Parts: sequence; structure tokens; C-alpha cells
Amino acid sequence: MEETKKNLLEVKDLKVSFFTPAGEVKAVDGISYNLGYNEVMGIVGESGSGKSVEAYSIIGLLQKPGKVVGGSITFDGQDLLSFDEEQMRNVRGKDISMIFQNPMTCLNPVYTIGNQLMEALQCHDDKITKEEAWDRAVHMLELVGINNAEKRMTQYPHEHSGGMRQRAMIAMALISEPKLLIADEPTTALDVTIQAQILDVMKDIQKRVNTSIIFITHNLGVVAEVCDKVSVMYAGKIVEQGDVNDIFYNPQHPYTKALLASMPRLDEDGHERLIPIEGTPIDLLNPPQGCNFGPRCKECRKICLSKKPPYADLGNGHISACWLHFMEGAAKKEEA
Amino acid sequence: MADFSKISPFQVDPSAIEEAVTFSPEDFEPASEGEKESMVEKRKSVSYWKDAARRFKANHVSMVALFIFILVLIFAFIGPKLIPYSYGDQYRSSQKLGPREFSEGEALIAKASSYFDGFYATALQPGSITAVMKGEQYVTKSGKTYAFTQEKNEEGVIIGFEKSSGNLVKVYEKDIDPATGAVKNATVLAEEPSEPAEGASELKLVKRVFPHMFGTDSVGRDLMARTMYGARVSILIGIMAALIVLIIGSIYGAISGLSGGTVDFIMMRIVELIYSIPEVLIVLLLQVVLREPLQEWIDHSGSSLAHAAGALGSGIICIFITFALLYWVTMARIVRGQVLQLRKQEYVTAAIALGAGNKRIIRRHLLPNCVGALVITTCLQIPSAIFLESFLSFLGLGVSAPMASLGSLCSDALQTITLYPYRLIYPAVILTIIVLTLNLVGDGLRDALDPRLKK
Amino acid sequence: MVSYTLKRVGAALLTLLLIMAITFFLMNAIPGSPFLTEKSTPQQIALANAKYGLDKPLIVQLKNYVVNYLKGDLGTSLKMQEGTPVKDIIFHQGKFVLSIKLGLISLAVAVIIGIPLGCIAAYNRGTWLDGFLRVMTTVGVAIPGFVLATLLLATFAVKLHILPTNSGQLTDWKSYIMPIISMSFYYVCYVAKLTRTSMLDAINQDYIRTARAKGVKTKMIVLKHALRNSLIPVITYLGPVTAGIITGSFVVESTFQIPGLGKYYVQCVMSRDYPVIMATTVVLSALVIFMNLVVDIAYKIVDPRITLTNKEA
Repeated sequence: MEETKKNLLEVKDLKVSFFTPAGEVKAVDGISYNLGYNEVMGIVGESGSGKSVEAYSIIGLLQKPGKVVGGSITFDGQDLLSFDEEQMRNVRGKDISMIFQNPMTCLNPVYTIGNQLMEALQCHDDKITKEEAWDRAVHMLELVGINNAEKRMTQYPHEHSGGMRQRAMIAMALISEPKLLIADEPTTALDVTIQAQILDVMKDIQKRVNTSIIFITHNLGVVAEVCDKVSVMYAGKIVEQGDVNDIFYNPQHPYTKALLASMPRLDEDGHERLIPIEGTPIDLLNPPQGCNFGPRCKECRKICLSKKPPYADLGNGHISACWLHFMEGAAKKEEA
Repeated sequence: MADFSKISPFQVDPSAIEEAVTFSPEDFEPASEGEKESMVEKRKSVSYWKDAARRFKANHVSMVALFIFILVLIFAFIGPKLIPYSYGDQYRSSQKLGPREFSEGEALIAKASSYFDGFYATALQPGSITAVMKGEQYVTKSGKTYAFTQEKNEEGVIIGFEKSSGNLVKVYEKDIDPATGAVKNATVLAEEPSEPAEGASELKLVKRVFPHMFGTDSVGRDLMARTMYGARVSILIGIMAALIVLIIGSIYGAISGLSGGTVDFIMMRIVELIYSIPEVLIVLLLQVVLREPLQEWIDHSGSSLAHAAGALGSGIICIFITFALLYWVTMARIVRGQVLQLRKQEYVTAAIALGAGNKRIIRRHLLPNCVGALVITTCLQIPSAIFLESFLSFLGLGVSAPMASLGSLCSDALQTITLYPYRLIYPAVILTIIVLTLNLVGDGLRDALDPRLKK
Repeated sequence: MVSYTLKRVGAALLTLLLIMAITFFLMNAIPGSPFLTEKSTPQQIALANAKYGLDKPLIVQLKNYVVNYLKGDLGTSLKMQEGTPVKDIIFHQGKFVLSIKLGLISLAVAVIIGIPLGCIAAYNRGTWLDGFLRVMTTVGVAIPGFVLATLLLATFAVKLHILPTNSGQLTDWKSYIMPIISMSFYYVCYVAKLTRTSMLDAINQDYIRTARAKGVKTKMIVLKHALRNSLIPVITYLGPVTAGIITGSFVVESTFQIPGLGKYYVQCVMSRDYPVIMATTVVLSALVIFMNLVVDIAYKIVDPRITLTNKEA
């Protein structure tokens, strides 16, 4: 019981597959993590690593041919996977909200911002009056830093810039004060300066409304800025997970290392060259028998060719799935 | 190699694993590049067209539609060669027959046909040349010719090989017993093969009397032959009109899209103008206006073009002109849209930056990328042309008799719809099948060729 | 909005003028004279030409047409009902009213039945109902209107005697049924197909995902978020539908013996009654152009992104 009190969200061995004509694609292949109250977790990975699919399965927006094939999702003590569509609908937007990558297409072009904001309230509360909904929407818009909120309410999405729309999306997601906000690459489609503003808004508002956030991104800089802990995903699996400082200053998995080496850093001396990760992500229709990252890994060993690595506990909740962590122990044992 | 049977991928304590598993030293030797590569199974990359073909084949509805359309094509183009009737010939005494019915004469001959091993019957020939001609004539059988001489033109005769004797004989219809089909008084014309004289005419033998599968019309024309012919005419009109639209529309659209600026603006205003004209009103006027001058030109100009036009008939030419004048605007818009869209693509910009000329850009970049849209629009244009033709024929402005199109056949059938409903049903069903299958094939092509819908 | 409407009306008048010019030259390109009969002498023809102003240069004749039309004078019939003002033929003899009635009802039927059918199919995607509707609409757009009209006539009027063969002046509801079905069936099917496609297209859009993430009920997602967006291509199609329904009226009016404008148009083209051809063309064209205008304004109502002054953007 105490376990569920501590954690808002517990994902255990979640498996999601897409059943395509070409075969089963294991988009998410057994991932586990816990997310505490008021905690911000980053999920990092390149395109196609299963980050978004994982998020969609939490909020129940997984579309055919995708299907959860195993594991469990426990949210606030409730088993979400056992919910039917109507129960899930009641959770969506009320307890769990989501914002998406492209604010340009995520708002319905034919309704006003106000209409869409108020709808988020009205669809969970039949009794709420129009005036009340209006006031809360205006308040929310002000909270995300939109000036002239009353006027903005009556405008259509196309009359707003990308940054404004994303602010409106955030306002819409948070209007019913959800316990969990899933942000799926909320800044990727925006200009760099706008990105920073949106991140500020999110950080600020997270403190004000006390919500946990799952922050999905491929941008490590964003993660460093807002997250408490980080999961690094590669090809449907979490390869490394830990406190944000551990991941950034003490990365253990070769993929995380490569990922960090491939991005510019301002906090380190010298002008090191950026090192790209060689190769392309694996084809999930035909995953390798061994470690998924093996084909691209500079440290690849013979054992990695044939067997998937288990997680190694590195202390302080820092885990990493790589055979290299077992090398030393194995060598010692050999000596002994 | 190590023994892994005891570990799960969720084991997080390294020492537990190290205890459970015995590693061998070579387990942690670096893997070679070759070994790393061998982990990945490369999927074959598929070309656009192969991929499109695969998708089209996977679309069962479209494949069935394509198959049925091919059957209709066979019906329309090969069918006329397989039946002994022709679309224009009027068979005397065979008027107004129902489907699979025989006229009296035909029934009589059908009864007697077992008596012969291949025969020629005057009653099975079109009205004006029913008689066996006077003079030297011959028939062929197994590569041999049998010549005979006619003293006078005769009707109501059957000339054929007697099954029992193998002789070439002549039988008068009146000598056939209407009840049993028994033949009396067969006159032997030839017993042995013989050389026909110069200028002799051949009589084509048939094995049996072919029924009028769809019946005949009021003047004794075989409706199946006419339906086959009409289907052919309709399909050809559809394809020709679609090609005209394709050529004019794509050239106009490409010029407009590529030029941009004022040229584009003016060209598009013209398109808009034509677009807002209710075309059918103009089409009707055009049909009436063009008909007579065209006929005049066909009759009096000796040029080969006029001759070819004459073969088609002024009605069909009018339809083509109409399409060339009014119906290309949709195609032009689509092509212009595609060109504008593609011009914005990075690879085209890159090609321009590399100094590629307009011609090269059109050929290498724009055309291959437009092909999908062009194929789809053209394919869907065919049924709309067939529709328009049938509509004009219905109003009496399409092809003229003895030529037939599916539309004119339907229109002819309307006057007698209450008495002979099948006359409408056959061409209408064929027309509907053509339009339906082409629509479905077009839809399938769109799904297959449009990568945006790629799953 | 006002300036846009004015601009569009101006463009519509220009188009009408152009149509008048085209019609005029096409009419005059018809070989022979309207007064040419087997026994008419050249003198008689010349006299008749002079009487109706047909001896003047073409450009002057055209100018006269335009000037008279602006004054509201549509001229008098030369042949069909010699001497009768064309205005009376079109407007007072009920022809226009009959055609408009049929056209508007058919258009309404196409929209009122077509759009819900499309929604139902999209909503029940993949079920037998969707399958049935898909087959119906696919076959529906492959049946020529005149075939349908004739089959209806043969079945319900001739065989079963339920409905009248001659719809005439459309005096009772029974006489409407077959003409309306014949005229609108194709468009019901087409609109339903179009609605279904664009609905499914809309359902895959990001904003639908947003609405789902908000917890909006499925029914509301379809009726509120998907429907309005998917109406945009349907509305675009309504302009051509109007033109198409006029086409349909030619067939339907002659099949069901309704003395409307469509049937009359075909007759007067055949008999070269210049003023009547001109007037009918202009009236029918004006109808189509007017509908296009209405469609563009409806567009603006449904899609706020369209600023009317700059439709291409």
C-alpha cells in the first residue's frame, strides 16, 4: 500500500506491439518505471524508439493496429489497463492530460481557443456553468503567460503563433488540474527562443498546480532543464534510467554516452568535436537476437551478439542494461 | 558460452547475475564489425513502382474490378470476332426477338442443322444480301474448296455438307419438316473438291445457328453485337477524351505552375472562368453548332484526317472537341497544384541550386512525381467521359445509327421500355459495370500510388 | 465581407457577360437561319431577319442583347411561341419555378441524406453497415441518371401503377418522388462517399487526438470536431453539384414529362430560337454562378481560416 502512496504512476514490464501486415512490431518491449507525485521524468530517445507509443498506452490513445500485449500500468493505485473506454475517457483530460508535438495541427482549426479550452472542463463536468468555465479558461490562459486572454479566447487557432498555440495547449491540458501531464515533444516543433519560453512556462506551472510530468523528448538539453529523473529509451527498451545528474554526469550505458557525445555542451571546457552515433536504428520488425544497440555499439562484445543484457543496479535508482557492467565481476569470478 | 537459464532481463543486481551465470572469457572479447553487422537483417528496399504494384495487388476490391473490366474489354474488343452478327446488319424476319430467341426461319434451320456438317443459310444473312448470288461460288472445308454455279439469285436456301454423304448439297427451306427438322430433296452441288473460277465469291460456313443472346431491335439488328460494339465505342470515347484532357490539362497546368507570376495569374483566371460556366449548356449548344459543319467537312474535304473523322462520325468528334474545350480545367488545376507543391520541395530547390535547367527539372523531378496524380485523374476521367457521352446520346446528340454507343443503345431502348425492358438492361448494366469498375480501379490506383496513404 | 461579396458579384456579372458572348456566337454559328423552312423564300427570310434585328452586324446584335438584358428585357420568342416575351415563357409559364423546385429539393436531398449517410458509414467504419453503404454509394455513382429514371418509371409507374408516369406540373407529392430520386440519387451517393472519406481523414488529424486526450465523448468528437472539418470538401463540391443537377434536369424533365426549363432548353436549341436560347442560358448560368457564390460564403462560415479576400492562401 505504501508503495502506491509513494508513486503516482507505476509501469511494470509494459509491452506494446503493432500488428502490421508485415509482422508484429514490438514498439515497446518490456519497460518499467515509477513516477512519484510532483516528479518530472524525462523519456529520451531517438525517433521510433517507442517513447510516444508508451505515452499513448498510458493515456489510452493507442490506435489500431497497436495493442498493449503485456505488463501493467498502475495510476494512483488504479489499474489503468483494466479500465473500459468510458472509464478511460473519464481519466483522460481530468487526471491525466497530454500535450503534443505540433501545436499547429493539434488545435481544431474551426473552433475558437476559448471553445476548445472550455470543452476540456465541460466534458468532465456537466454542471459547470458557461461563465465559470469561461473564467477558469481565462485564468488558465493568463497562467501560461498569454496576454489579453479575454480576446484570445474568442480567436481561432490560425490567428495565433506556434508558441501561443502551445501555451494554449498547455493551458487546455492543465485546466482540470490533472495529476499527471504527459508532454510529447512539446517544444520540438517550435523556434529555439520559443522553446525556452515554453519550458519556463512548464517549469513554472508545474510548481503552481502540483502535477507530475512525463516529458518525452529527443533533446537532452530540455531534459537537463526540467526533469528530476530520466529514462533513456532505445528500440522499445529503457536502456538506462536514473537521477538527472547521474545520467548527465555519470552515464553508464554506451548509448547514453554516445547520445551525450553527439550533442553540444556549454558546461564543459574545451572544444571537443561532436561525435555522431554511427548507423541507423534497428528495424523493429527484425530485431537482433542480442543487444538492440549492439550493431551500433563501439563497445560491443561477443556476448552482446546473442543475448539481451539484463539491468545492472548502479545504486541510487540508477540502472543500466549493458553487459559491460558484468564484465568486471565475471573476470573476478574467473580468477577465483 | 555462459549459461543464462537462470537470469531474467529484469534482474538488477549484478552480483546475483554473476553468481548465477558462469561466463567464459571469450564472452567479453570485443565483437568484430562483421559480427555486429550480421546481427541486423537488412530489409530489401523496394522501388516506388514495385511498392505501388504490391499495394494495388493487395487491394482485393480493385483487383476484382480490374479483372471484371478486362472481361468487359474482352467482350467489347474480342467478342465481335466470335459472333457471326455485326452491329450494323439488319436481319430480315429477325426483328424484335427476345434474348436467346430464334426467328421462325432461324428456328427451322437450327432444327435441320444436325443434318449438315457446316452450312450456309440465306435466312441467317442480313436483309439486303439474303440471296445466294448468281454465278460462280465456292465453299471451303478442311482447306479444300468446292465450287458450284448458281443459275439465279435464290432465297430460302441452305448450302452445306451433308453429314451422311459428305457431299456439298443445296436444300430449300420449304423442304425441311418444321416439326422434326428432317430434310427432303437435297440437291448435290459438288462431290469432289474443285477449283473455283476467277472472281468467284466464297460463302462462309457455320456449324450451328447462333442465338441472339440479347435479342434483336426493331429493325432486326443483333443486340449483343450492338452492345459489344457500343461498349467498344464508349470505352474508346472515354479513353480518347481522357487522353485529350490529360494532354491539354497537364500542359496548361504545368506551364501555369512553372511560369508563376502574372502568366500564372492570368492562366488561372481563365481556368476559373471556364470552371464557372455551366458546361452542359455550352456542350448542348456546341453539339448542335458543330454537327453540320463537321459533317460538311467530313463529306467534302478529301484529307485523310477528314476520312478518319468520318469513320468516327461527327457526334463523337463533337464530344472530343467539347472535352478539349471545357473539361481540361480540373486536370490543369491538379497539375498546377502538384507542380507548385513539388517546386517547393527541397530536392527541386537543390536541383535548381546545382544549376539544373528547366527541362531537366521537369523530366527528372516533376514528371515522375506527378505521374501518380496524372494516372489517377486520367483513370477517373474515363468514366466521366463515358457518362457525358451517354447523356448526350440520351438527348439524341451523341453517335448516330447504325453506329452505337452504350448511351445511344439505352436511349434507343427507352421508347420501347415497357415492351422490351431487356433492351435497356443489357447496355445499362454494361455501362454501369464499366463505370463502376473504372471507379474502383481508379480508387485502388489512388491508394497504391499516393504514398501519403502508405501504411 | 461586404467588399468581398461585391467583388464576387462583379466577377459573376463578368462571367455572365462572357457566357452571353459565347452563347451568342455559338448560336450564330449554327448553320442556316431560324426562319429557314422548305418553302421560305430568301425575301421572306430577309424580312423576318429585319423584323427581329438579325440583319444587323453581329457585334451590334450582341450589344443590343446586353443593353436590353440590363434593362430587364429578355426579348421575344422567334419560333417556339412566336411573339411571346421570353420573360413570360421562362418566369410566368411556371417553367422556371418547376425547375427551381426540382433542383432545390434535389440539392437539399443530396445534402440532408448524403452527409448523414457518410457520417454513419465513417462512424461505423469496418462494420456491415459501412460495407453496405460503401457498396450502395459506389454503385450509385456508376448508374447514369437516365437509366435510373427509366427503371423507376418502368417499375413504379408502368408495372406497379403506384406513381404517375407523367409528373406534369408537379401538383401532388406523388409526382415529385421519382424525379427527385432520379436527380438526387447520384449526388446523395457522391456526397455520402465524400463525407465518409473526409470524415475518416479528419478523424486521423492531430486535433482529434487532442480532443480524445481531453476526454471528449466519442459521439461529440465525431459530431463536433470531425464533422465540421469534414464538411469543407463537401461544401466545395456543392458548386459542381448545382451544375450537375441542371444537367440531370434535362433528362428527368423529358423522362417524366415535366415542362421545365431544362426540357425547354433542349427544344429551343434544336429549333434555334435565339432569344429563348440566350435567356435560358443566362438564367441557368446565373443560377449556377449564384450557387457558387453561396458555396463560397458557406465556406467562410464553416472554415474560419478562409479570409474570403484570399482564398488561394
